[in-house]
Amino acid sequence: MKKYIAERLGTAFVTILVIIFVLFAMMQFMPGSPFNDEKLSRELIEKLNEKYGLNQPLYVQFFKYVKNVAKFDFGISYVINKNISINLMLKTRVPTSMRIGLQAVSVGAVIGLLLGIIAALKHNTFWDNLTTVISVLGVSVPSYVFALLMLYTFAYRLGWFPLLYTKTEPFRSSLLPTFALSMFTIASIARFTRTEMLEVLDSDYMLLVESKGISGPALIFRHALRNALIPIVTVLGPLVVGLMTGSLVVEKIFSIPGMGALMTAAIQANDYNVTIAMTYIYSVMYIIIMLVVDLLYGVIDPRIRLAKEDSGE
Amino acid sequence: MAREKIMEVRDLSISFKTTTGIVNAIRGVDMDLYRGETVAIVGESGSGKSVTAKAMMGILASNSIVNSGTVKFTYNDNGGESKTVDILKMSKNEIRRDINGKHIAMVFQDPMTSLDPTMTIGKQITESMIWHYKTPKAEAEAKALELLELVGITDPEKRMKNYPHQLSGGMRQRVVIAIAMACDPDLLICDEPTTALDVTIQARILELIKDIQVKKNISVIYITHDLGVVAKVADYVDVMYAGKLVEKGTVDEIFYEPRHPYTWGLLSAMPDLDTRDDRLYTIPGSPPTLKNEIKGDAFAPRNKYALNIDTRIDPPMFKMSDTHYAATWLLDDRAPTHDMPPEIKGRIERMLKEENK
Amino acid sequence: MNKYQIASDNFDMDSIEFLPNDFEFIGNKPEEHIDSNFASQDYWKDVFIRFKKNKGAVIGFILLVFITIMAVIGPMVSGYTFDQQKIEFQDFAPRVPGLEKIGVFDGSEVMRSPGGGSSRVINKYKTTEGAADVYYWFGTDNLGRDIWTRTWMGTRISLIIAVSAVLIDMAIGMSYGLIAGYFGGWVDNIMQRVLEVVNSIPTLVIVTLLMLVFKPGLFTIILALMVSGWVGMSRIARAQMLKLKEQEFVLASRTFGAGSWHIIFSEVLPNIIGQIITNTMFSIPNAIFTEAFLSFVGLGIPAPQASLGSLISSGYNSFTTHPYQILPPLIVLALLMLCCNMVADGLRDALDPKMAQM
Repeated sequence: MKKYIAERLGTAFVTILVIIFVLFAMMQFMPGSPFNDEKLSRELIEKLNEKYGLNQPLYVQFFKYVKNVAKFDFGISYVINKNISINLMLKTRVPTSMRIGLQAVSVGAVIGLLLGIIAALKHNTFWDNLTTVISVLGVSVPSYVFALLMLYTFAYRLGWFPLLYTKTEPFRSSLLPTFALSMFTIASIARFTRTEMLEVLDSDYMLLVESKGISGPALIFRHALRNALIPIVTVLGPLVVGLMTGSLVVEKIFSIPGMGALMTAAIQANDYNVTIAMTYIYSVMYIIIMLVVDLLYGVIDPRIRLAKEDSGE
Repeated sequence: MAREKIMEVRDLSISFKTTTGIVNAIRGVDMDLYRGETVAIVGESGSGKSVTAKAMMGILASNSIVNSGTVKFTYNDNGGESKTVDILKMSKNEIRRDINGKHIAMVFQDPMTSLDPTMTIGKQITESMIWHYKTPKAEAEAKALELLELVGITDPEKRMKNYPHQLSGGMRQRVVIAIAMACDPDLLICDEPTTALDVTIQARILELIKDIQVKKNISVIYITHDLGVVAKVADYVDVMYAGKLVEKGTVDEIFYEPRHPYTWGLLSAMPDLDTRDDRLYTIPGSPPTLKNEIKGDAFAPRNKYALNIDTRIDPPMFKMSDTHYAATWLLDDRAPTHDMPPEIKGRIERMLKEENK
Repeated sequence: MNKYQIASDNFDMDSIEFLPNDFEFIGNKPEEHIDSNFASQDYWKDVFIRFKKNKGAVIGFILLVFITIMAVIGPMVSGYTFDQQKIEFQDFAPRVPGLEKIGVFDGSEVMRSPGGGSSRVINKYKTTEGAADVYYWFGTDNLGRDIWTRTWMGTRISLIIAVSAVLIDMAIGMSYGLIAGYFGGWVDNIMQRVLEVVNSIPTLVIVTLLMLVFKPGLFTIILALMVSGWVGMSRIARAQMLKLKEQEFVLASRTFGAGSWHIIFSEVLPNIIGQIITNTMFSIPNAIFTEAFLSFVGLGIPAPQASLGSLISSGYNSFTTHPYQILPPLIVLALLMLCCNMVADGLRDALDPKMAQM
C-alpha cells in the first residue's frame, strides 16, 4: 500500500511538472509580448520586463515561473481586468464554482445511485427501461443542451427560476445550472451502478450468500452494493472532467461568475495569462481528484489495500 | 437402525426461459436421500445435475419455471420436532428464513469466486449464525474458530481477519465448507467441490467432507462428472442424462454391474492405468440441446446399443434390485442379447481383482 | 412378465403398440455421428442477428444513416448557400410550403416578454417586401442566412471532424496499446508512464492549449481531438493484448516462427477488432461533443464556416427571442450523439453476448 501511494504521488508530481513546463513553453510561443500595448514607451516596457524578469535567460525565467506557480501566483490579467492580480479575480470565483460543482456531484451521485440500484433489482421491468433511457440521454446529450432547454422552459417561459445567476439568490438561481450539470453524472453513475450491480448479483459469491439464507436489505447493502460500489469510484474521475467541461459552458449560459466563465472569457478575449493560469488550476484540480480517487479505491478495496502483504497457504 | 429419509424428490420438471427459447433442463426426476448417507449425482455438463441441486436449495435462477414435481425435505426444527416441507411450494423468503444455511448448505464449484471479496473470512462464517439464530458475536466467533480448525486451517485467529484474496484456492474451499457448516445443517450439497482445485488438494477436501459428515451425521449430495470422486465418497449414485435419471444404484451396483450404455460410457472415461488406448469406449457427440421436445430416448443418437424403439418411446425405469434401477430398453425381455462393451468388462474384472487382493 | 419390473409409476407398457423390429439394434456407427448441436455459425452473422434484435440500436443506425445522407444532400436542395447573407431577410421564422396551410411553419412567430407575460404574433414574410414567395424551411439567422443549409453544412463539418479524428485516434491508440501489451517489460513500463502523464492532463486543457497555439480551423480541431483521444483506445488494445498473447493460438504461431509484427497485426488484431470498433463508436459522440464545445467557447471553426457547435453558439445569443434558430442544430447534435451511443451499445452487446443478458 505504501509503495502504491508513493508511486501515485510520484506520477502526480511528474505530471504537474510536465504541465508547468508545457505551459511555460506555450508562453514563449504565444504571439507578442504581454506588454505590446502601443501606448507604452520603450523604457516602460523594459522596466516591466525587468520587473517580471522577462529579460533574464530562459532557464532563470523557468525556475522563477515554477516557483511562482507552485505558490499559485499567476501574475496579472492583461486584457479582461487590466493589471488586476489573477488571484484576486479568482477569490470569489473559486467558491462559487466549487459550490455549484459540489451540488451537481451530490445530486448526480444520489439520483444516479438510486436509479442504478432500482434498475438492477427490477431488472427488465419498466424501471429498468426508464433508467436505461435516462442514462443514454444523459450520457449522449451535452449538458449545455439541457442547460438551454431548462433555461428556456423553466426560467424564460414559466418564470419559476431566475434567468441568470444572481448573488442575491445564490441558491435558487443555482438550481437550474446544478441540474444541467448533474445530468451527465446522474446518467453515468446510474448506468455504471446498474451494470455493476447486475454483475455482482449474478456472481458466485452472491449465490453463496443467498445459500446461507441471507435476504432482504442485508443481502443488497452488506454484500451486493458494497461490491458494486468499489468500481463505481473509478468513474468519479471522468465525471469530474465532465463537470469541468460542462461548467465552462453552463456558467457562460447562466452568467455565473465562476472559474469556468472566467476561462471562457479569457479564451475569447485572448487573455493568455489568465487562460494559462486557469489551465494550470484545472490540471492541478484534476490531478488531485484523480489521485484521491485512486487512493480511495485502494482504501475501500481490500484486494488492493492488502495486496502482497500476505499470500496465504 | 431405520433409515430416516430427509429428501424426497418426485417427478421434478424444470424449464428455463432463454432468449433463444424454452430449455427443458429437468424432465421428471425422482430422487431419495437418507440421513447420514451420501448420494452422488453424475452426468455431463448440461445434464441437469446442478439445476436439481439448486431446486433443492431454492436458489433457482429467476428465469426458471417449475413445471411439476415435489421436493420434500424433512428436518428437525428448533423444538426438535420433525418437520416435512415441500421446498417448491415455499416462497423465496420462507426458504431463506427456514431452510438455506440453517438446514441445507451448499459448497460451490469455484472457491476463487464464491467468497465475498470485501468481507473478512470471520465475518462470512459468523454471518449466518448471527442472521438465523441471533447468536452473540463473541459466541459466533468462538464457533467460527472451531469450524476453521475443523476444516483444517492452521492459525485460525489470524485467518479470521483475512480477506478471501489472501488465501489459496484450497484454503478458500475449506472456508466455504466452514461457512456451510456454520449453522449445523442436515444436508450439505457439494456442487463439483473439487474440480477447480489441484489434484493433491482434491483428495484432502474430499476426505475433509467425509470426516465432517461422519462427525456431524449429515447427509451429503455430490454433484460431479468425475466417477473417481464418486468411488471415493458416495453410498448411492444417480446418473443423469439430458435432464433425466438413466440409472441409479449403490456405488457397487453402478461400478460393478452397470446396465445403462451411458453409464458404461462414463465408466470408461474414468482414468485407469491398465486401459489400453486402442480399446477405449467413448461416447461420441455431445448432449442434446434441450430446446426441442425430445422424442424417444435422448441418448439414442449417441448410443451404439440403441434399439429401434428408442427413437419412438422413452424407456421406463426397470428395477433390478431394491436399490438398482436403469432406464433402457435393453432391459426389456424382448431386447436382443447383448453384452457390455468388452473394455468395461475387463475393467470391472480388474477392479474386482484389486479389491480381493 | 418382464424379468425386471417396471418402476416408473405412470408408464403403461400395454398401451404401447410395438413394431416388429422395435427390439433390434439400429446399428449406430458412433464414429459417423455428426455433432449437430453446436454446429458452428459464422461469428459475424451471429453478431448481425443479435444487433438486429436490438430495436434501439437499429433505430439509432437508421437515424444515423439518415442524418449522414442529409449532411451530404441537405445543403444542395434548399437553393441557398451556407454563407449567402440577405440582411433584409434576417430572423425569419421557419416556413415550409404545404405545412403552412395547416397553420404550422407558416413563417409566423410569437414575440413574448419573459415570464410568459404579453405576447404578439408577427410574420416577417408578410411584412417584408419581396418575401411573399420566399421559403426558409428552418428560418434564417440574424444575418439572413438559411438555417436549413447551415444546419446540414454544420452537420457535415462536425461529422468529418469526428470521424477523421476518431479514425486517426484508433490507428494511434491501437498500435500503441498493442505494442505496449505485446512487448511488455520495460517497453510497456515506459509506455505506460508516458500514457499516465498524458492521461493526467485534462483533455480540455490539451485541446484548449493547442487551439491557442495554432490557428483555429478544421485541421487544428482534428489534431486537438486526436492528441487527447487515443489514450482510451490504447488501454483497451493493451488489455486485450495482455489477455490474448498467452493463448494457445498465439503461442502456436510463435513456435512456427512468426515475427512479432505478424503476431500483433495478423493474429491478435482480428480477435479484438470487435472491441476496437465498439470503442470507436463510443468515441465518435465524444469527438462531436468536444468539437461542439470548442465552437461554443469560441475556439471552433471560423465563420462563415459552421459546425453544429458554432451554430448553437450563435443561436444561443438570440434563443429567447428566436428559439427556432438554435433548435435545428441542437436537435441534430443531440440526435447524432444519442444515435452513436445507441449503435455503440447495440454493437457492444452484439459482439459480446454475455453483456447483452445484463
